[in-house]
Amino acid sequence: MNLLTVVTFVPLLGALAAALLPRDEAGQHRALALVVSLITLGLSLGLWFGFDASSGAAEFQFEERRAWMPSLGIGYHVGLDGVALLLVMLTTLLVPVVVLSTWAAVQDRVKEFMIAILVLETAMIGTFAALDLVLFYVFWELMLIPMYLLIGIWGGSNRLYATVKFFVYTFAASVLMLLAILWVSFNAGGTFDYVQARAALDVSTEQGRWLFLAFALAFAVKVPMFPLHTWLPDAHTEAPTAGSVILAGVLLKMGTFGFFRYAMPLFPEAALHYRPLISTLATIGIVYGALMCFVQTDMKRLVAYSSVSHLGFVMLGLMALSAEGLTGGVYQMLNHGVSTGGLFLLVGMLYERRHTRLLSDYGGLAKQVPWLATAFVVVTLSSIGLPGTNGFVGEFLILSGTFLSRMPGAQVLSVVAASGVILGAVYMLVLVEKVFYGPIRHEENRHLPDLSLREGLVMVPVIGFIVVMGLMPGPFLAPAKPAVDRLVQRFQQAEARLGLPTQVGTVSTAVASRPPPPPGGAN
Amino acid sequence: MPFLPTPAAAEASLWAIILFPLAGALFNGLFGRRLGKANVTLVAIGAMVGSLAVAVIAFSWVLTTRNLRFVGDPWINVVGADGRALLTVAWGLLVDRLSGTLLLVITGVGTLIHVYSASYMSHEDDAGYARFFTYLNLFVAAMLTLVLGDSLLLTFVGWEGVGLCSYLLIGFWFTDEQKAQAGRKAFITNRVGDFGFLIGVFSLLALFGTSSYAELANLARVVTPEAVIGTGIFAGWTWQAAVTFAMLCLFVGAAGKSAQLPLYIWLPDAMAGPTPVSALIHAATMVTAGVYLVARNSMLFTLAPAAMATVTIVGAATALFAAVIAFVQTDIKKVLAYSTVSQLGFMFIGVGCGAWWAGILHLVTHAFFKACLFLGAGSVMHGMGDETDIRKMGGLAGKMPHTHWTFLLATIAATGIIPLSGFWSKDAILGNALYSSNPAWHSVGPIAWGIGSVAALGTAFYMTRLYWLTFQGKPRTHAAEHAHESSFAMTIPLMVLAVLAAVALILGLPGHTAVSELFSHFIEPVFAPGTERLFSEKVGHFHAVAHPPWPYFAAWGLAAVGTWIGWTLYKGGLGGTVARWAQAWPRTYALMVDKFRVDELYEATVIGPLKSLARGLWRFVDVAVIDGLFVNGIPRLLGFLGGTLRLAQNGDIQRYAALMALAAAAILWTVLGAGSQ
Repeated sequence: MNLLTVVTFVPLLGALAAALLPRDEAGQHRALALVVSLITLGLSLGLWFGFDASSGAAEFQFEERRAWMPSLGIGYHVGLDGVALLLVMLTTLLVPVVVLSTWAAVQDRVKEFMIAILVLETAMIGTFAALDLVLFYVFWELMLIPMYLLIGIWGGSNRLYATVKFFVYTFAASVLMLLAILWVSFNAGGTFDYVQARAALDVSTEQGRWLFLAFALAFAVKVPMFPLHTWLPDAHTEAPTAGSVILAGVLLKMGTFGFFRYAMPLFPEAALHYRPLISTLATIGIVYGALMCFVQTDMKRLVAYSSVSHLGFVMLGLMALSAEGLTGGVYQMLNHGVSTGGLFLLVGMLYERRHTRLLSDYGGLAKQVPWLATAFVVVTLSSIGLPGTNGFVGEFLILSGTFLSRMPGAQVLSVVAASGVILGAVYMLVLVEKVFYGPIRHEENRHLPDLSLREGLVMVPVIGFIVVMGLMPGPFLAPAKPAVDRLVQRFQQAEARLGLPTQVGTVSTAVASRPPPPPGGAN
Repeated sequence: MPFLPTPAAAEASLWAIILFPLAGALFNGLFGRRLGKANVTLVAIGAMVGSLAVAVIAFSWVLTTRNLRFVGDPWINVVGADGRALLTVAWGLLVDRLSGTLLLVITGVGTLIHVYSASYMSHEDDAGYARFFTYLNLFVAAMLTLVLGDSLLLTFVGWEGVGLCSYLLIGFWFTDEQKAQAGRKAFITNRVGDFGFLIGVFSLLALFGTSSYAELANLARVVTPEAVIGTGIFAGWTWQAAVTFAMLCLFVGAAGKSAQLPLYIWLPDAMAGPTPVSALIHAATMVTAGVYLVARNSMLFTLAPAAMATVTIVGAATALFAAVIAFVQTDIKKVLAYSTVSQLGFMFIGVGCGAWWAGILHLVTHAFFKACLFLGAGSVMHGMGDETDIRKMGGLAGKMPHTHWTFLLATIAATGIIPLSGFWSKDAILGNALYSSNPAWHSVGPIAWGIGSVAALGTAFYMTRLYWLTFQGKPRTHAAEHAHESSFAMTIPLMVLAVLAAVALILGLPGHTAVSELFSHFIEPVFAPGTERLFSEKVGHFHAVAHPPWPYFAAWGLAAVGTWIGWTLYKGGLGGTVARWAQAWPRTYALMVDKFRVDELYEATVIGPLKSLARGLWRFVDVAVIDGLFVNGIPRLLGFLGGTLRLAQNGDIQRYAALMALAAAAILWTVLGAGSQ
């Protein structure tokens, strides 16, 4: 049996098993969910080690094709390129962490909660794995339902407004994408197979632009890109910790992944046309999201706005269309999953202790909870891109990749975006300061317990990846390279078809070639 | 050498210099709070001694044989589809005579300050003590990475790393909100500089396609400044213009780290940290990183005379500006902090006018005497019960003899009185500035000399004032009367540093004897390509000659005059002439005490508007327009429309019947009435 299919559906099987367990046995449900997600993680390691990242290898690996609705041209077709592989790994890694983090936080309807998480995992992996447009759409929408329930049932006080906003925002945009998918199929010989459709697609320039916009809109909402971002702070704020972590960690990547996999390679000409607009919006998002963080009084809302800023970096990197920028964009997707996921985990732990998200209710905690404070600072450093953490590698690749991009005006965008690095330090350090430094202003804060063993286990993988991905990015950059190279080449071909002056790829340097290696160490 | 018997073996173990303190930091960070202070001290100082030992061996190879280079595995490596790899950063280290010099300063002074801290910080609880040494070791590791890294990017790793440690150590006593804020201010101001650093690196990548120092120097050697660039981002620029842009960006980074105008504001506030931190980070090592950066890129800076002129004039302006603020400060650490800002300005004059060796020499001598002064200040605070106000001191010379004589020696060195080290290094800077000529701005050297001379006069004045108010005269408070000398763990590092500050004079002696210009000759090879370009007739931009001796006498005279003024004004303690001046010009005096209100200016022009902008955008764009008008507005509009239309469908059968009748009548009338015609 195909390993990718197994990885995709094991969580769903786990959910079915959970459905059979009695409702009262909360402990069993937790254990089952943890074991299933760990099995999924273990199986997905087979994908990680089995993936061939050499340039001659197949574009999609672990492929499986089965007839599903052949008369309609719909098939079950899955497969991974390097970028999807990285995101699948991110998903399978985050889910057990999330399950472990909910051990104490979720006491109500544990059975349904764990089922929702496991169904969500299948939907997320399926979205990354799908190579059939309809299959992709099914998984894409399937994600919405458990997420909707997570926020709507286990969410905060204003959860109803948040869920409706989340659902309507994303659903409305997705429906347009469905229309676009149908349209693509009509113009690609009636197939919904992504690989075939990508090769056979034949639309006019005008049509291509409309189709690109329909896809881009659905993805831009999910990213979320300025100005379509306002569902995110509400959803994050009201979601339970697990919901926030999955939302920030994986769901937002669906948007950027969608650009990388669908919107950009299907319609490169249209993408080139809208590139100045999208990269400008991305840059605005970086600065705007950071500025919004300045005025937030709610921790989760602050972290949510920081996501807008960070995802702006990802989009800018993708739009740079240079190897450096694209690679950085992919890397930053993983970084954001780890760091912002980590931040939400930590905020959740604080919430469990104090049952408030308001910054003004904290202050001076570092003496009481030194390990929690240390973990928080480490994750903060990753978030502000300190060298040695994963965040730096991503931000550096994106900013340099944009600076070195052939896109006209890219240098200006890069410089403006780089100012986001300053602003990021401001709001994150203010956050740390308001929560952990200063005198203790509230008596309740005087006797908080530090990280428990379980919470420590939750944070260890997060911090481990922050450091490892910061110091040894090689293994995480390598799988992305073939996919990135293919995308660059696809755009270069599109550019040649359009007869445009070269705007894709990395600039040539002012000196013609690299010098010979420097002479030995003699003075 | 008993071990590392070949240069190759030393090269292979270069990383040990960094990994020793890093391992110490990790160990103390994870287990320190449980182990007790003695073990923490042992680990932290042991790590430093290990690092120092390897550093000394490495340096001895550099001194006698050749530079050491560790060719590392790639850290970041992105290769494009076309096979080009612009972004290749390796974990490579380089010890040449420049980084070797700094290596010794960092590990040497660092070890002394670790020893001092073991006593100074002994009042902390176990957790705090372990945390302190964790940060301090981590700092040393980051600083060594900054200096040893063989590319701009690896330097940047250390660059931000020291910024982080500086942040953590300034805010070490974080329960005090102001101290936590001072730490944040330092980090963010530095980030502004780092922004410039990054753009500079990007520009160099676009120009040369590499960030490795060796490759950059190799490429820069063959560049013709007047040639116009044909390809890439800087197409159409001359090489000189493009490199100038990149160097100015790098200098923004340098100005942030080294507290130059206009980014100096964080350093005085950084005194909120424990005093050993001020000595190690904010005097001897980290703040000099900007000077190192400029010196390290000397080859590129010589292509960019306008950038060099900027470095020179910013250094000169900062030297004077900070000295003037130091005149009226009453906090012993604040005086020293402004003094540091001012001395860093001198170093920038040196590296800005092409006297690289003089700038670096001043960096070294300053590390000795300023670390000694800060540690002396710490000793005074210890003896006075954490008092920092020099108005409440006085007459400490008798109570704290060791602290006193070391402080006095360091003061003389800082003042620039013959024959201690500060004189030679400072004069080397000023003398070279006077006789340098920059094609972008011919008189920038002489102007810097003029400003710098006035600043030197000021230095002599405020140092004398500081020394006199602290150690001489009569004790002005009860605490000063009962001050006690510190332990030997604290005074021995003071003595070592004071002696170093004195004997370092041998490095800078001018003239033509066997020991003349020892340091200049030693470090010259590092800057040779740059100096060559400066002097080469083909470029013909700079000239410098062996200058006559009169500037030496002038400098000495200035130092003497400054000292005399300080002594005259403050020999009677406070009050007297100075107090009358302050009363006569109250506004000027208040402005100086308020440090010319630069912080307030930034608050009003940058920070405040940014906050208002954020608040305004949040209220208007997010809340009012996007959410109010569209997200919630459209459903509300639909709801309103629905509500209006619902009036027609309220379930009332009679009304439906009436409507039906009316409609039927209308249809009939239209069909029959209109159709019958």
